[in-house]
Amino acid sequence: MKKTNIEKLKLEVYEETLENGLSIYIIPKNNCNNIYATFSTKYGSNNDEFIPLNEKKMKSFPLGIAHFLEHKMFEMEDGTDPFEIYSNNGADANANTSNYKTTYLFSGPEFFKENINYLLDYVQKPYFTDKNVEKEKGIIIQEIKMYQDDPYSVLYEKGLYNSFIKHPIKIPVIGDIKNVSQITKEDLYTCYNTFYNPGNMFVVVTGNVDPQEVIEIIKQNQNNKEFEKFKPIKQKQYDEPDKVEKEIDTIKMDINIPKITLNYKINYNNLNLDLREIQSYLSIITDINIGSTSILNEKLKNDNVITSNLDYTFIYTDKHILLTILGETEKIELLSSKIEEKMNNLEITEEEFERKKLNTISSYIFMSDNIFSMNEKVMNNIIKYNEVKTDDIEYIKNLSFKKATDIIKKLDLTNKCKVIIEPK
Amino acid sequence: MNYKKIKNGAYNIHLINTDKFKTISVRINFKRKTNKEEITKRNLLTRVLLESNEFYKTSRLIEIETEKLYGLMLRSSSTISGNYSVMSFESSFLNEEYTEKGLLEKSLEFILSFILNPEIENKEFNEKNFNLCSNSLKQEIQSLKENPDKYGMHKMLESMNPSAPYAINADGYIEDLEKITPKELYEYYKEIIKSDLIDIFIIGNINETQLKTIINEKLKINTLKRPSESHYVTHKKINKKSKIEKESGQLEQSKLYLGCKLDNLTPFEQKYVMNMYSFILGGSPNSKLFMNLREKNSLCYTVTSTYQPVFNLLIIKAGIDANNFEKSIKLIKQEMKNMQLGKFEDQDIEAGIITYKNTFKEVEDSAFSILNAYTSCEYLNYDTLDKRTKEIEKVTKEDIIKVSKKIHIDTIFLLEGAMYEEN
Repeated sequence: MKKTNIEKLKLEVYEETLENGLSIYIIPKNNCNNIYATFSTKYGSNNDEFIPLNEKKMKSFPLGIAHFLEHKMFEMEDGTDPFEIYSNNGADANANTSNYKTTYLFSGPEFFKENINYLLDYVQKPYFTDKNVEKEKGIIIQEIKMYQDDPYSVLYEKGLYNSFIKHPIKIPVIGDIKNVSQITKEDLYTCYNTFYNPGNMFVVVTGNVDPQEVIEIIKQNQNNKEFEKFKPIKQKQYDEPDKVEKEIDTIKMDINIPKITLNYKINYNNLNLDLREIQSYLSIITDINIGSTSILNEKLKNDNVITSNLDYTFIYTDKHILLTILGETEKIELLSSKIEEKMNNLEITEEEFERKKLNTISSYIFMSDNIFSMNEKVMNNIIKYNEVKTDDIEYIKNLSFKKATDIIKKLDLTNKCKVIIEPK
Repeated sequence: MNYKKIKNGAYNIHLINTDKFKTISVRINFKRKTNKEEITKRNLLTRVLLESNEFYKTSRLIEIETEKLYGLMLRSSSTISGNYSVMSFESSFLNEEYTEKGLLEKSLEFILSFILNPEIENKEFNEKNFNLCSNSLKQEIQSLKENPDKYGMHKMLESMNPSAPYAINADGYIEDLEKITPKELYEYYKEIIKSDLIDIFIIGNINETQLKTIINEKLKINTLKRPSESHYVTHKKINKKSKIEKESGQLEQSKLYLGCKLDNLTPFEQKYVMNMYSFILGGSPNSKLFMNLREKNSLCYTVTSTYQPVFNLLIIKAGIDANNFEKSIKLIKQEMKNMQLGKFEDQDIEAGIITYKNTFKEVEDSAFSILNAYTSCEYLNYDTLDKRTKEIEKVTKEDIIKVSKKIHIDTIFLLEGAMYEEN
């Protein structure tokens, strides 16, 4: 068991990899009552085309299948219901699928041993039948429709769709009605057997636990099961171009206030930066220029262009990072041109840069009180970097103003697309 | 964890001392009787006060200062808590151990300056900032329709009883907003400082003497205030038969709501039994409604029941296809009938008890959840977390059956979306 201090936060992370390949990460926090455990596979909507276990040829699957599989893991052969088991223990259970991973989770201050054993057991025991697969389609189609009524989901998904050309990140995690309707029991087993091998999975536990005990429980659980030896999964590599699929798109919906996203597709490999560097620098640069402390944001508010702050998010692939800026306004043209003008003339001062660093460091300290955020942080680290970063505060302290100005000079913001939602 | 209520005449300080968190969290509440005409004003005021003050003239300068104060978080809200309307100012900042000496005083001074030193010009709020806030509130009110969940809920509550506090749109009304002037709002501000009931809740690793010194020095309000009456809304009329209302919206999915009135609950039922009822009926992914509507009949993705104690309401909500309307209603009514007939297991009750006990434990992990718990003790006569853990265990099957007969479906509301072939 490896133990590492998390700098300045009075926390430690314990790590262990079992013989079957399953990795375990634990951050004990004994001054709180609750325990949060997650069990994830490195399989999400991005992993759409691959060579299935014990086969030879690359095969593609219906869109939305990773999410469908997540729903179906709650089906048990003996008729028991995982939600009922957790509910009876007073724990919250859930699962979610993203572009990068699928996670099964529970939280609850009591019955940890029983809860974690059950988590491993139900996820490691698939039971798909033609009948239960059919039944799920109705539920998922309702879920798809719920997202279709939400203008922010529509805006975000359209932005991804129009920004990427080949990479499956362009497709909503949930898929669409046509694809979801095609999913079969056989497809589900193929995907399950390929990606749900312990060698492709990891457990993260945060909260009121003893790390040694956690590892013992999981070890014992896994020793009673047999798995095929894990072999790295050959997956399709997408030679994603830098240009976008479609530069402008307008959608009509039943809304009052028009909304726009500007999506900037940035190839960070070309900048010789790794993902952690580009994310750290780009967040600070974006925040200074269009965030709540920016002159632009203030001017847009004063001129009655926007009433609430501009918002922005990032999503990444192995090659690109997509910066999405969201604004709501009656003056779409004006807002769009002002943002573009600013993005073409990014500036930062050293005072601003140091203040944003201080603020980022503070946010790590705030986060460390929360076992849910800490668990998320570990999961994200594993997916992005394949290791837990314990030097976040030091890392931010060391970001250099000179490097930031250098990045601004080299940043290519020519590949972009706009999505607008207008009232019907 | 150590709780202390310090009465100060014009306001109460509720101090919860604990070294559990790296932060100090504060909530300052202003409350008075709910009055529909004042709701928009109160909402606007919570925004205007945070938009600027005497020392920081724009929100950009405020944001910069919060960054210098190590990412201090500050927000405000206006909500309806039954018969009372509550304006809240909330803040959270890092403990001096993780920052620098003197930060507690600096942070408290910063927070209080928004309440005590607004930006006033010629006896009215600064017009530019006033207009910014007025516009953003206008957008917020208009966006109600963009959120089908919130919109449908509001329409349903309105149709239950248009003059009840729960039917008030907590964001406010465009007609009222358009009439408010910077001068009038400033007059209203002076009035609330004088006559609203003020409570300050604060949690963290804090020295009591130091805290009292800082607050007494900064917050010089001397008016004496009357003790309050109950937050709980009681229903004047309980209808024997429920009514059905429909409205069509341009939605993919229809939203179904059942609004139920609760009649004459005892304090024990109000605080414990109803929670258990709602948990078993529709409070978890293992609930009666979830199992029957979603798992057995694939009618919906979400179906939940929510108990709103201050309004004495139980609300059932489901996202369905419009042509499953009748079938869904029938199944929901059936499940409610089954509750009355006692068709649920001891195990369901045990699960509810464990869930609530665990929830109380989880509350202790979050500073703002702890503040919520103490706010409920103060406003709603809730028991302390320790007592609640003991009391919830006393709920019996008979209690739940008894309470199930006090639940009356008043309004069934459908926000109607597109019709689809049955899947």
